[in-house]
Amino acid sequence: MRSFDPPTDSALEALADRVQEHTIGACRLLTLRTPVESVVTWRGSFKTNPDVGMDDDLVQSLVVSLLDKGTKHRDRFALAELLEDRGAQVEFASDGLYVDIAGRALTEDVSDVLALVAEQLRDPLFDADEFQKARARIGANLQRSLENTGAQATGALTRSIYPANHPNYIPPTVDRLRRLESTHIDEIRAFHDRHFGANEFILVVVGDFDETAIVSAVRQHFEDWEPHDAVANFATSGRHDDPQRVIVPIPDKQNVDVRIGHALDFRRNEPDYIPAYLANYVLGGNFSARLMQIVRDELGLTYGIRSGLYGITSDYSGHWHISVTLSEEHIERGVEETMNVVRQFVEDGVTAEELEDKKTTIIGSYKVGLGTTSGLAATLLKNAERGFDVEYLDRFPDEVRSIRLDDANDVLRRHFHPGQLHTALAGSVPESYALRD
Amino acid sequence: MPDLSKDIPSTFEFEEESGGIEAYRLKRNGLHVLLMPQATAPVVTFMVTYRVGSRHESMGLTGATHFLEHLMFKGTERFNKRRGTSVFNILQRVGSQVNATTWFDRTNYYELLPSEHLPLAIEVEADRMRGALISAEDVDSERTVILNELDRGENDPTRKLYHAVWSVAFIAHGYRHPTIGWRSDVEHVTSEELRYFYDSFYWPQNATVSVIGDFEARAAMEHIFEHFGKIDNEPTPMITPRTVEPEQKGERRVVVRQTGHLGAVMVAYKSPPGLHTDTDALDVLSMILGSGKSSRLFRRLTDRGLTTHVFGGASRLHDPGLTYIFAMLAPEVEHEEVIDSIYEVIEEIKRDGVTEEELRRAKSQNKAQEAFGRDGSFSIAAQLNEAIAAGDWRLYTTLRSRIEKVSMEDVQNAAKRYLVDDQRTLGLYIPIQEAAE
Repeated sequence: MRSFDPPTDSALEALADRVQEHTIGACRLLTLRTPVESVVTWRGSFKTNPDVGMDDDLVQSLVVSLLDKGTKHRDRFALAELLEDRGAQVEFASDGLYVDIAGRALTEDVSDVLALVAEQLRDPLFDADEFQKARARIGANLQRSLENTGAQATGALTRSIYPANHPNYIPPTVDRLRRLESTHIDEIRAFHDRHFGANEFILVVVGDFDETAIVSAVRQHFEDWEPHDAVANFATSGRHDDPQRVIVPIPDKQNVDVRIGHALDFRRNEPDYIPAYLANYVLGGNFSARLMQIVRDELGLTYGIRSGLYGITSDYSGHWHISVTLSEEHIERGVEETMNVVRQFVEDGVTAEELEDKKTTIIGSYKVGLGTTSGLAATLLKNAERGFDVEYLDRFPDEVRSIRLDDANDVLRRHFHPGQLHTALAGSVPESYALRD
Repeated sequence: MPDLSKDIPSTFEFEEESGGIEAYRLKRNGLHVLLMPQATAPVVTFMVTYRVGSRHESMGLTGATHFLEHLMFKGTERFNKRRGTSVFNILQRVGSQVNATTWFDRTNYYELLPSEHLPLAIEVEADRMRGALISAEDVDSERTVILNELDRGENDPTRKLYHAVWSVAFIAHGYRHPTIGWRSDVEHVTSEELRYFYDSFYWPQNATVSVIGDFEARAAMEHIFEHFGKIDNEPTPMITPRTVEPEQKGERRVVVRQTGHLGAVMVAYKSPPGLHTDTDALDVLSMILGSGKSSRLFRRLTDRGLTTHVFGGASRLHDPGLTYIFAMLAPEVEHEEVIDSIYEVIEEIKRDGVTEEELRRAKSQNKAQEAFGRDGSFSIAAQLNEAIAAGDWRLYTTLRSRIEKVSMEDVQNAAKRYLVDDQRTLGLYIPIQEAAE
């Protein structure tokens, strides 16, 4: 029978001290052993430096969707069986300027699986038939997104806020479908040749593993992976146009998704970010924030409402984002009450009690988020992408604690402007509302 | 026998241990307590599972389980918004993830929080086990919130298809109505009816308390006794649903029509309760059919461009449920073509069985899933919750060994016995295209 002794201090030590850092070729490898049994999780990314305004993101999505469809050394079924025989999971995702790598495996399989990840990234087959299927699958997903009120409202809002060459800009779905039709396998191969390489390549491995084995596997499969010389082309900030309201009519959707927002002019690695994050959290960060407490809990107008800082990285700025779902009969009042809360919030500012509450919330949530291998790996990767040192893992709570009431309210006044908010609605919006100014 | 060196409080009786979890009974009121220490991170999950779900609801009162779950956040005399001590406020202030879910057989409330705040979670959950206010005013304001939640669900045609299939497959048993309830019941349920529902099911002997993660057993049990120990048992026996679903003798078919672009198919067969050993074989069969890119249905459907996604599952419920296959159609593919392919694959397995390689792969996937599922206390809680709902918490700790025992013959026999035409319910989502264009 297992003992119910309290945990040893080793489980509670500063995490950053336990992170091992290696430079292997162009790869920055971060490893962290944790007491979880037999599980290894990894997260990684590298920069592809796409030309964002030229639909490179769509081509990048196609490339990524073909990585599990065969390599020069084995076909798609052999790849799948190799992973599934071990119960391992590997995922690749197109993420703006990056391609993300994620996965997990049992301890005894991790070296084999990392070898496979390298093979998929470096030697994909790009078979013409598989390309046709991948294109059809992405096309189908885009068609389905035409029915998704949340996706359509979010897309419309980004088009009010960003220029077309900003990584957060989401093109109209019909435009994407049209562009998808014109893609060719040669474009896919050329994109891979030009944009896949070990640029700012970071790999984070967390869990129950042998350090030497991981280092050896990464050395064997990634040490000679060279960076490419593509140069990224993208806008780094949003527009500040006059506020507009956009309606995306979708029939048969009694729940209407509403997105409200405007561009913000700071990045993740700039001093305004943390106070802005805290201030916004007071408005719409969780269930006990003002929007949820008033618009849902008191007025009963919505199931879901929140606000956040969206798409802000160390490479480009993003936007302030408020989302609310409203049944058809509550659209008018729901939007109005949401805006009332937002206006009041910016006018009054954050109170000292609210700020202290949200500080403990954020610090506690952060601690909770680091309770799994995937939470730890994702946080270590994001911090590395943002250009922060490993110690930031432990320093983040101190940064949050250090924010004073004046800091939060000063940032609120400088960056949050209710009069500049754009609105986008998607769903069966009644004509009476749609025709209003 | 319990390890006496652990010095368990005399107010609890040790019952058994399985897979690192110890089960106790609070002597005074029969509350069931499960403890699983896991010092991998300084966080803990506290969960109360009530053995009440939508199967306990009578006609006219559908959705009561779910409605009541919402009201449990509206407060008690001790924890409420008026006093600034609402459940969300006080728990989120310390960084807790706090929420609740409802399903056919159970309702669970949980907190994932930094370990030092475990006593707070225990106090909150004990307080609302018998102290919920359930006022008429709160019922009215929450009703529109739930109706918006319902509208959100109705936006998604695949979700409607899923509900439609269950509601046609079952004609008498409570699994036929969706857990959120039928709209007219949600519109009209009263606070008195919800109070009656609460008084029928929210009692210590109908609940299991689980503590998972980094905690000290004796201290946790003392807190549990301090707060839950003062709650008396219910004065009258609880209502036990007596309806048994009559045997299905003939295929049923249901069509969902809604504006959209791409169709979907759900093929479902009646299957045994979650604890039945045949469900283990159906679990393995579902993995062979639809788990991963080497599965039979992926090869037959998605790899050939007939579907964009296909997956299968065997429900593990308290009573007989459904084993199902869900397929999302690719553009310009007819439903019948996909349905015929699914039937062909099923017939092949019934006729020829599965291969040793497929069985080994399914078991490897299960082994890895089991290990991954132990990464973090919340993941464990979520799985334990379903085992409790199915009728035996040890289903969680023994699932892997149960799956290991499944043979090729077991899988073929399960297919022959359960995947039969007369026990089938076929659901089709046929998009209405004209209006969408």
